[in-house]
Amino acid sequence: MKFNDVFAGLALLVLSALVASAAWNLPNPAQQPLGPSAFPLILAGLLALCAVILATTGSRVVERGPLFTRADWARSAAPVLRLLLVPVAVIFYIAFAETLGFLIVAPLVLLALFLAGGVKPALAIALALASALAMHAIFYLGLGVQLPWGLLEPIRW
Amino acid sequence: MLDAYVTALGMVLDPYVLAVIVASAIYGLIVGCIPGLSATMATALLVPLTFFMPPVPAIAAIVTTSTMAIFSGDIPGCLLRIPGTPASAAYVDDSYQMTLRGEPEMALGICLWFSVIGGLFGTAVMMVASPAIADFALGFGSVEFFWIVMLGLGGAVFIGSSSPLKACIALLIGLMLAMVGMNNPAGQPRFTFESTEMLGGVSLIPMMVGMFACSEVMRHMISDGSAPQVAIKKMGPIFANMWRLTKQYPWQLVRGSALGTVVGIQPGSGADMAAWMSYAMSKRFSKTPEKFGTGHPEGLIEAGASNNSSLAGAWIPALVFGIPGDSITAIAIGVLMMKNMAPGPTIFVNNPENVYALFLVFVIANLLMLPLGWAIIKVASRVLQVPRKVLMPIILLFAIVGSYAINNSLFDVGLMLGFGVLAFVMEENGFPVAPVILGVVLGPLLEEYFINSMIKSDGSLIGLFNRPIAAVLAAITIGIMAWTIIAALRPTRAAPRPTPQDL
Repeated sequence: MKFNDVFAGLALLVLSALVASAAWNLPNPAQQPLGPSAFPLILAGLLALCAVILATTGSRVVERGPLFTRADWARSAAPVLRLLLVPVAVIFYIAFAETLGFLIVAPLVLLALFLAGGVKPALAIALALASALAMHAIFYLGLGVQLPWGLLEPIRW
Repeated sequence: MLDAYVTALGMVLDPYVLAVIVASAIYGLIVGCIPGLSATMATALLVPLTFFMPPVPAIAAIVTTSTMAIFSGDIPGCLLRIPGTPASAAYVDDSYQMTLRGEPEMALGICLWFSVIGGLFGTAVMMVASPAIADFALGFGSVEFFWIVMLGLGGAVFIGSSSPLKACIALLIGLMLAMVGMNNPAGQPRFTFESTEMLGGVSLIPMMVGMFACSEVMRHMISDGSAPQVAIKKMGPIFANMWRLTKQYPWQLVRGSALGTVVGIQPGSGADMAAWMSYAMSKRFSKTPEKFGTGHPEGLIEAGASNNSSLAGAWIPALVFGIPGDSITAIAIGVLMMKNMAPGPTIFVNNPENVYALFLVFVIANLLMLPLGWAIIKVASRVLQVPRKVLMPIILLFAIVGSYAINNSLFDVGLMLGFGVLAFVMEENGFPVAPVILGVVLGPLLEEYFINSMIKSDGSLIGLFNRPIAAVLAAITIGIMAWTIIAALRPTRAAPRPTPQDL
């Protein structure tokens, strides 16, 4: 999704206002002349300036161009769904890694992404299991990272 | 100094370090060779692993991977006309035309041979120049450092970006992200939203992995993702004509290496800029400019040497001032800080053997490129056909586990995803991503130098200009910014440079 620069500019203007208002009330216990709020306020001011320039230059093309354009990939459903699968897969991992365990969640995440990419099911299952095990070997066995075991706690090695 | 080099040599020749160098060399060559996987991504994915290594092998892994990936990005450019990394885009027409003529071994041989020479040239300059500059910079105070950081950030935004305004916005977003946490002169928690995870600030590793790997996976999802077909099956002898070409074009080689090093030193412009500028310069001074783009070796030699020499050049400001020249050195600075080797002029006083070890790794990596590069060229047509629909999900899982591994925290995985989405949306809308990373890495330094300078001068802005070196640096920085702003305001704008965004 490509937004017109007007939208980007307005969104950034809101962002700079939020940052400025959050920075305004920061406590300054050491009573320094330039306390912790000084630098964020300068940045917020500069961002607001850039946002205004962006929005005004963007508004010049409003008459000629649409307010937002769909990139080529966004015109059909399949690429959009594949794209959304990435955040869904990561959120699924975050939500279930600790209850189900890495060795269950990781192959599921991989399997979903492989199938969405058009890998043949039998190959996808084999690859998902093999790569999850390889990752487990590198990080858990090799580097000692405590990947969660979840349901598989009884067979922990 | 010689003693330190001997110690450093001992550190580098350790079997574990050598194994790390060889492994990351092979990794860098393969990742750089696959279109869609950039050198920056190769380096970012490696960072979680370096977290578990001692300082010298960690730096060795980063240096070797990036050096190799910049070279092997030439391979798909040559065989498929798809540059593997943005640094190879400048001369892709020439190398692809050679392939069409049935001389892929000639094109790839040039890329390999002159990459090695350019890389060694840049390394030599780095070895000589950085201790000297560091020595000079030992007397710098917070004001000088403030302007050096400003120069670095200004260079990143105003030189070589197709939209300075959008780059500036990206930089400001990065600087704001750097404000999160307690790492500020006043020691106050800021923008933490009452969350304990945020007190330490935005963790660099999940951020870099998200912005350079997760976003790449997302971009793959919207492409068709089929492996491109390679027509070439057979490669002739790769080094056959190289000595003849070296003797035929010595001046181009020197000019490309020198310009590449200088462009690399200039903060904010990396290997891709170096290649474009050298290619243009080669064409400008060539006796046969009309042959450029038709499979002529001259530009290929100059630009191929240039992008590899810039890689070493970019390390000079990174080491001496802690200012990254491009996003790869920004990642490297993150690794150095993680290993308690904060860059700065004192790094040569505090950690000389580690820095000399880094220099030696550069030399070894460039020499190792000859045999390993030869090998990757031989198997290139097969590497190019590795299906990306299989690789990308594995890269995503690696990004998840790598972000988790640093603090055993699922919060970091969420952070990785957040930054991946941010980078994806930004790039879709024409905002470059590299300035965000520079902002996050340099934000705390910039604030500290600024506040300290202001406190010294009792809050007067004159304090930023009334020391001679500071004034010169300020003039250069403001000059660069003013120049760009004036150029942007001029009614007839020149056509934008055909570079991809500096990755």
